[in-house]
Amino acid sequence: MGEVILQMKDIDKSFPGVHALDHVSFSVEKGEVHALMGENGAGKSTLMKVLTGIYTKDSGTITYEGKEVEFHNAREAQAAGVVIVHQELNMVGHLNVAQNIFIGREFKKGIKIDDKKMIEESRKLFEKLNIDIDPTATMSDLTVGKQQMCEIAKAISHDAKVIIFDEPTAALTEAEIQDLFKIIRDLREQQLGIVYISHRMDEIKVITDRVTVMRDGCYVGTLITKDCTKDDIVNMMVGRVIYEEPKTKSMVSEDAPVVLKVEHLNAGKMVQDVSFELHKGEILGFSGLMGAGRTETARAIFGADPKESGDIYVNGEKVVINSPEDAVKAGIGYLSEDRKRFGIVVQKTIAENTTMANLSEFMKGIFINKKKEKKIAKELADSLATKMPSVDELVVNLSGGNQQKVVIAKWLCKNCDILIFDEPTRGIDVGAKNEIYKLMNKLASEGKSIIMISSEMTEILRMSDRIVVMCEGKKTGELRIEETTQEKIMNFATRDVG
Amino acid sequence: MILKKIKENPIVKKLGFNRIVLTGVLILMYVILSCLVNNFAGMPRVMSALNYAYFLGFLSLGVTFVIATGGIDFSIGPVMFCCALISGYSLTSHGVPMGLSLIISIVVGVIFGAFNGYLVAYQKVPPFIVSMASMNIAKGVASVFTKTQSVSWPQAAKGGWFRYFVKVGKVPVGIIVFFAVAIACSILLNHTKAGRYMLSLGSNREAVRLSGVDVKKWEMLAYVICGLLVGIAAIYFVGAYTTVQPGYGDQYNNEAIAGCVMGGTSMAGGLASIGGTVIGVFIIALLQEGILALGFTKDYQLIITGIIVICAVYADVMARRRRN
Repeated sequence: MGEVILQMKDIDKSFPGVHALDHVSFSVEKGEVHALMGENGAGKSTLMKVLTGIYTKDSGTITYEGKEVEFHNAREAQAAGVVIVHQELNMVGHLNVAQNIFIGREFKKGIKIDDKKMIEESRKLFEKLNIDIDPTATMSDLTVGKQQMCEIAKAISHDAKVIIFDEPTAALTEAEIQDLFKIIRDLREQQLGIVYISHRMDEIKVITDRVTVMRDGCYVGTLITKDCTKDDIVNMMVGRVIYEEPKTKSMVSEDAPVVLKVEHLNAGKMVQDVSFELHKGEILGFSGLMGAGRTETARAIFGADPKESGDIYVNGEKVVINSPEDAVKAGIGYLSEDRKRFGIVVQKTIAENTTMANLSEFMKGIFINKKKEKKIAKELADSLATKMPSVDELVVNLSGGNQQKVVIAKWLCKNCDILIFDEPTRGIDVGAKNEIYKLMNKLASEGKSIIMISSEMTEILRMSDRIVVMCEGKKTGELRIEETTQEKIMNFATRDVG
Repeated sequence: MILKKIKENPIVKKLGFNRIVLTGVLILMYVILSCLVNNFAGMPRVMSALNYAYFLGFLSLGVTFVIATGGIDFSIGPVMFCCALISGYSLTSHGVPMGLSLIISIVVGVIFGAFNGYLVAYQKVPPFIVSMASMNIAKGVASVFTKTQSVSWPQAAKGGWFRYFVKVGKVPVGIIVFFAVAIACSILLNHTKAGRYMLSLGSNREAVRLSGVDVKKWEMLAYVICGLLVGIAAIYFVGAYTTVQPGYGDQYNNEAIAGCVMGGTSMAGGLASIGGTVIGVFIIALLQEGILALGFTKDYQLIITGIIVICAVYADVMARRRRN
């Protein structure tokens, strides 16, 4: 272990009504990857925002390279060598790679921008980092993984000494993650201090040297990664053991009635000849890497995007689905991976969101029966244990997990028998995750049939009765949970489909 | 701190802090103008302001629905003139009976609303472009139809019985009609499926569509309702001012939108208040009366409403930024 490059001591920060950071200490050494973990709202982001000057701390000290510092904004921090690589990439799509890397500090030749020099400098930078990207390529043509590499290169070009990665792998494929790890290891070799924020336990074990856990704005502890187990970390995060064992046996018999049958579905490049069956009371996991076409398949089934060909049968009867309206009529509900964009209307109340798909049932003549609406919404919210002051609360004020419950309530209110959960626990903290899992199991046991698209292997293994694996728009495998191993799934998911 | 407490008072919350402040502004304006201008407080001035408030109010109510869906309509003023011209010309030059003329006015408004709504909702043409274009179409159609002549509607005594919708003797009947329509609009917006879906799709169109709702239908309906109210506005315009000339009407766009956004309807869609719109309209109407009474020209009104629109939208943008 090297010398300490960054030391945050006794950092305290309060917002009206919230003690966001309660005397937190955190340090990074040269040449280490230091994981920062905790549930959503534990204070990780706040801590990093205090570090980079986006928030002002109430008390405490930050020592960087032996001197006490206080950055006033991200630019100052960047100039000093403390850089965040954000979860959402800050790139200008229609500019090229070099222009993006040197944005805001372009080389000039007279009054003209010297593109040539920027491209040359970018090329040198990429060589140094062992990244294979053409600096003249247009940013929007690159994959998310490549774009992130550019972001890292940009950070390095600022002569960064401490790099903070905020959930860097959320949108990457397995191969891209491996590339990213290689770069992170290189950076570690070069004696940079690296802060790694992630929810993915597997990655923490692979890439980090130390783990600091936060909970409810407090520092909980720091562990040496190789000396601890996942359960140790998780226990520190939530104060209890939460990871259940994977499902080993399906309770759904193979001859359970087929409620949904999809045959030879085609919709663009991402959905090619997909066929599968969904049985009553079953959770059918859809596994695969990013860009495998799982969401596209779900959206095509649901009528959210147009399809080219293929037949859909619900309870044995052929149905024509050309719009979400048709799908809902057929009893299919879709819970999007992006709740804020596709799931909820944030400026409406919980009650109003709950009845969104089934408002016809709440009409009294031409008027909405708000009393009945609130009553049903309350019942559903109670049965889902949604945490809320009242059903009149605007959905925007709820946490991610509770927003997800509102979306579930919407489809339960419509009494949909087929539910498509697309990444049901994305962006939801560990405790709430567990609740969503329980809920899904309960729904399945009550006879609802669920398709669950998930990129988390643990989630797939824990929840599914059967698993469909997709790769590059095609279905490449189908497994019963009894015969499933991670290796088998990975095999299908990365299979050369030519 | 005190402000926060006031805002969270249940009565204040129910009435809306914004609307209470606006009502205060309205009363204050009236008091100040009454002090500055002789006889301002008297009936003639008030009636004059009301005449202005009626037609502007219907326009503003109409555009509230469109803005609630996240759209905009810059054609309402000229379409109102188009309605008044086509129906008036039918009445005076083609001998169409009065009752039918009034219906023609409303039908013309609805046709324009349906035209705008169809292009916006079903063909995804940006509302800004659609309404700018139909603004010119409305002007052109009206000019062609009337052979570029102005049209004068008959007085009450000479068969112009529609004027009794505006006032009977000295009784401002129009205000009753206006409030009745405003209440109907408020119920429509807050207590029916149409209103619920319009507001929801204005806030998050995709989420509503993915709930299995026919969003196109409801979005188009907002424009149709707007057109209907524009048709009614036309009747109140000629009821108050008798004569319409082809080629005008643009300035009322801004004033109607000003009344709407001032009342708390968000230009981003999803939030709308009919009550706010009503108060906003009265403020604009009183403002125009006040400006004329103080001896300024109409130009100042343009400047002030322009500033009001910018301030109201800016306040809305800031409020949303704070929420996020």
